[in-house]
Parts: sequence; structure tokens; C-alpha cells
Amino acid sequence: MLLEPSDIQSEIAQLESRLQDMRAQLDASTYPSPPSSHPDTKIPWTMPSSSAFYNNKFRADAVRSSSLHALLLLSDSALPLGSFAYSSGLESYLAHHKPQRTNPVTSFHRFLKLSIASLASTSLPYVLAGYRAPETLETLDNDLDASTPCIVAQRASVAQGRALIGVWERAFRVSFALPTGTDAGADVAVSAIDEFSDALKTTYDNQDELGPMGHFAPLWGVVCRAMGLDLHQTAYIFVLNHAKAVLSAAVRASVMGPYQAQNILASQTLQDTIMSRIEREWETEVEQAGQVVPALDLWVGRHELLYSRIFNS
Amino acid sequence: MRQPAMPIRSPFESSIAKPGQGTVVLSLLPPNNPTLTTLTYKYPLKLVPRTGGFVPSPESTSLSDSCPSRPVHLYLLTYGGGLLPGDHIEVSIKLEPRTRMVVTTPQGSTKIFKTDSNSSDNSPNVIKGHRKQMPANPHLSDMSQQSLDVKIGRQSALCYLPDPSVPFQNSRYAQVQTFTVDAAAKGDQRSSLCVLDWVTQGRTSRGENWNFRFWRGRNEVWAVDEKTGKSRLLLRDSVILDDETDDLNDSDESDREDLPPQAPSGLLPLNIIQERTRPHGVVGTLILSGPVFESLGSYLLNQFTSQPRIGSRNWSSSETSSAPESSASTRGDVTWTAARVRAGFVLVKFGAKDFETAKLWLGGLLREEGTVAREFGEEALFCV
Repeated sequence: MLLEPSDIQSEIAQLESRLQDMRAQLDASTYPSPPSSHPDTKIPWTMPSSSAFYNNKFRADAVRSSSLHALLLLSDSALPLGSFAYSSGLESYLAHHKPQRTNPVTSFHRFLKLSIASLASTSLPYVLAGYRAPETLETLDNDLDASTPCIVAQRASVAQGRALIGVWERAFRVSFALPTGTDAGADVAVSAIDEFSDALKTTYDNQDELGPMGHFAPLWGVVCRAMGLDLHQTAYIFVLNHAKAVLSAAVRASVMGPYQAQNILASQTLQDTIMSRIEREWETEVEQAGQVVPALDLWVGRHELLYSRIFNS
Repeated sequence: MRQPAMPIRSPFESSIAKPGQGTVVLSLLPPNNPTLTTLTYKYPLKLVPRTGGFVPSPESTSLSDSCPSRPVHLYLLTYGGGLLPGDHIEVSIKLEPRTRMVVTTPQGSTKIFKTDSNSSDNSPNVIKGHRKQMPANPHLSDMSQQSLDVKIGRQSALCYLPDPSVPFQNSRYAQVQTFTVDAAAKGDQRSSLCVLDWVTQGRTSRGENWNFRFWRGRNEVWAVDEKTGKSRLLLRDSVILDDETDDLNDSDESDREDLPPQAPSGLLPLNIIQERTRPHGVVGTLILSGPVFESLGSYLLNQFTSQPRIGSRNWSSSETSSAPESSASTRGDVTWTAARVRAGFVLVKFGAKDFETAKLWLGGLLREEGTVAREFGEEALFCV
């Protein structure tokens, strides 16, 4: 019963894999095109109220108080964090699925979903904790470093985290590190980054001492706090930027064209996915953070085994 | 009023009040005699020590300055070979300096049972009565939990290669394993540990394929400085397999399916856990640290980096001249990765199509390298 000839088994495996493909393709085909003006009922932070929305008067204070400027700066794909160098395991995933997979787009949809779920369960709690308690930045950094299971992911996270500190110090600090008076936490965040940055510079050479590393997620939370974003925006941008990076990697890895990538990026499905993952991890403490997609750790870790690579992760 | 007579204290009475708790302290009595100075446990937990089985030869050890003490073998058992809903196992082990302990679970697998709250008769054949009745709230109470807390003193070593956890359909389980090492110890004085944690898709013979509700395994290694009391997290490995059916807002999860029980796998859309573990039937983690496992760690890293490149083409015409063959790492359908993460830890993560494949692969690697058998005896490899 269990001892079928191996070729029958492999045949079954192929058929099953193909079945999953087709099913996923069916799911993917139901991606709705973005509605021209969809109701924003799900977005928890307040957009300008409808009266202000249709009012013809320009209201500078409304724009200012929504921290729109900082939001746009941080969501810019030209923000020099080097995110373009990382595919977050996509490249390795594609390489591992080459033989069976016929339709790379279908396969990509699966990956994107898994990748977002994994990011939300492993890194997002650190973003939220960094925002809520900027003074614990160094502990968060240590704990995230301890929780990162492979050096490929660690390198990617540290490189982007340090780049973020660089951007903060060289560009944003001048404009944003002013006492606001509205959020005492923002001032705490500014000094937390300063202290952390100093610690990072002094222990840079000492690899054995387990000094600060500069992981991306907690720093993102602290920097967003310092720049006056609210927690919802901080979390949403973090996950959205990840989705953008993965989609951009997909375009460059020839999985899909740029229009298709934008289509996915704009889709309601992606928005819903991001929202539901954030909602799920909103209260997750960093001690409870963990990998929900064990297979992803394997793909990311095995990136080093790829014969040819165009990305760093 | 007359005071009630003091009852005679039973010599068999356990000093631990709560069911499922156990405490072990392993000390090294002079001259070089490992002794369990404390060993208590309470139903449904059972801890069985076995000493004197294996004596490592002095020259084989990596600790050159002192003869290693004999490893003490501890069997960690639960009645029924697993955990019922509501069971809470709590084991605390202390290894004093220069001791060695082997912990195994000689039951083939750690079964995570699911009992229906209204009809508990379909549960496995275990002695009931002693186990707590489940409270009304099904979400939290029917979770089985296990916590293991091991303090590993300087120059001591733990080898913990247990059976995989096999969560049955609809079961819920959470496990926290905390290992504490001496932060002040440096170099060869450091504590050593080898910890395996793996979970399978369930009972494949009954068609189970990641059909449980929740499984979480968290392994943490902390360094504690006895003098200052400061503790620092060195490593945290946390895997959460959650079918996410407990969410209150069921409406906006598009990919959730209510699988009817015993649904033949492969014909219905995958549940979330299947989707996230595909194509593996077992996933696991091996954590190595300390001087005793240094060579094993290096060996595994070597094996990992010498795997054939993915996506490389064999340009030579003859098939035979390709990658090194029949090494343990290329055998079978095992996808794995090894990395030297911080503080000298070597972390191995693997996924395989089934338990047997993973067991063969891992057992093969550990036996081929030889450290575990040499330092702890062949019985340390009982479960792999």
C-alpha cells in the first residue's frame, strides 16, 4: 500500500503540484482591478474628513498635521536603503521551484503572500515595539539578532538598518529632530537613535562581543516615531515597502512585467492581505514573534547555494 | 479543640505539588561521580534516569584539561506517549559544572492528542482520572503545553535529541524550551548544548497532513551572569504553525477553508499550515553550541556549503563526473540550511518529505561525524 513504485509517486506529486498551480492561478485571476474610488472604511487612521476632502479651500494645516510629508519620504522607493539589492528569498524560491513550476506568476503570488505573512510574524512586532518604546531599541536589536536564523537574512536586515541610520543622520535629522511638543516619545526616539548610532560606531570592529547590530525593523519603528508618523502608518508602510521590494525584485527577475507588478501592488487583495496581517500581529509581543512559514527560512538560507545570483538575499 | 493528628508523611510523596512538574539536578560529587541530587516528578510526567551505561574514553574528549564525567541519561516520558489537551508539563533541569546529560524521549514520537470536550472516549488509551477536567473555554484550555528549562553550568553539556512532535488532527500545543548558559565562562569553559526540535504533519497513516489547529515551538538560549544577575538573549528560534481559524474576523481571510475531518489531502485546497510548509511533511531545527559540539557544527557547515549548487548545469557529457555522491547531505528529499549565527551557535533548519527521511538524514549526519556517539554514547542517538 505504502510501497508503490517510486515513479507512480513522483507522478502523483507532479499532478498534485500542477493541481495547486491551477488552483492558485484561479485565485490569482480573481485579483480585482483597483476600484477608482473605493470606500476607505478599512483604513484605521483618519484621512481628511469628507467635508475637507471636497472643500475647495486649501488647508495647509491639515496636510501638515497628517505628517504626509514624512510618510511620502519614507515610502519613496528612492529612499537610499539599498532595498533593491534584496529579494527576501524570492530568487531562491524561484530556483527551488523551477522544475515543477510552469507559470511563474502563479508561483509568485504564493510567494508574496507567504513572504508578507512571514515578515509580519517575525519583524513587525519589533517595528511596533520600537515605535511604542523607543528607549528599548538596543534590547530589541539584540533580540531580533538572536531571532534571525540565518546570515543571509541577517546581512540584509543589518545593511538596510544601518542605511536607515545613515539617511536619518545625514538627511532627516536636521528637519525632524526638533522638539515637537506634541509627542514626547518623538524626542525619546531621537535620542535613542543618537545613542544607538554612537554604540554602533564604537563597537563596530568587535564582532565577538555581541554589540549592537542595527537591524532594520526596530530602527524603522523608532525612526518613524521620531518623524511623527502614527503607529498605523508606521506598520502599513513597513509591510507595503516590503511588498514593493519583492515586486520590484520580481520584475527584475523577469517573473512579470512592470505593469503587472503595479497591478498587484494596487490591488485590493494586497491591501487586504497587508491589513489583515498587521491586525493579526498588532498586539504580538516580541517574545511571541516567530516564523509562521518555516519553508521560507529554508529558501532564504539556501540562497547561498544558488549557482548564479542577482540579489543579495 | 483537639488538633488533628499529624499524618505520617508518605516516603513516596512527591515534593512537587502540581501535576506534570518535574525537577532534576545533576551534580558532580567528588572525585568524579555524577549524581542526581534531585529527581522529582508528578503524573502525567515521568522522568527515568539511567546511569553508568556509557563511559567516554578520556582521550576522546575535546575538553583536554579535565576528564569528562560520565553522561547521565534521562528519559522524559509522559503517560500515553504524549500530551492530552490541558496537560501542562513543566520540567526543570539543572546541570552543575562539568556534568553531562543526555535527554531522550523513547516513545517513538511525542503525540499531541485532541480530545473532544464532550466525548472524551475517542482519546487514546491512557489512564484518566488524574488529569484535570477541561474548563469550559475551548480556546485556551484545550491547549497542551510543555516547558523545559535547563540550566547548563560551565563545562557541562546537554545532548537533547528527542522524538518529533506529532500533532494530531485539531490538536493545539505550545512548547517553550529555555536553556541558560553561564555568561562568564569563556573558551573551553563554556557550556555546550545540542538541541533538536522537530514537528511532523501528524499521523500520515490516517491521512493527516498538517491538520492540527496550532503548534508552536520556541527555543531560547540565554546567557546569565551569576554575579551581576544580568541576562541576555543569545538565540531564539520560534516556529508558529497556526491554522488561523480562531480569528474573530473570519470574513476577510480568503484562503481559509473549513476542512471536513479526514478529507483526503490533495483534493481540497490547502489549509494555511499546509500552504506554509509545502512540500515538507516534517520541519525542524537543530541548535549546536559550545566546545563539545564545535566539530559537529563545523562538519554540518561543511556539508551544507559543499552541497551542489542550485541551478548549475552539468556541462560535462558524462553523468558520472558530477557532484560528490552518496554523502549523507544529498541523500533523500531533505531541504536544509546551516549557518553559524552569532555567539558561535550553529543553527540547522531542515524540511523533509516525511519523518523517516528526516530521521535517516539527520541520524546519518550525526553518526557519520561521530561526536555525539563518542561523547554521549550511542543511546543518545536513540530517537534519530
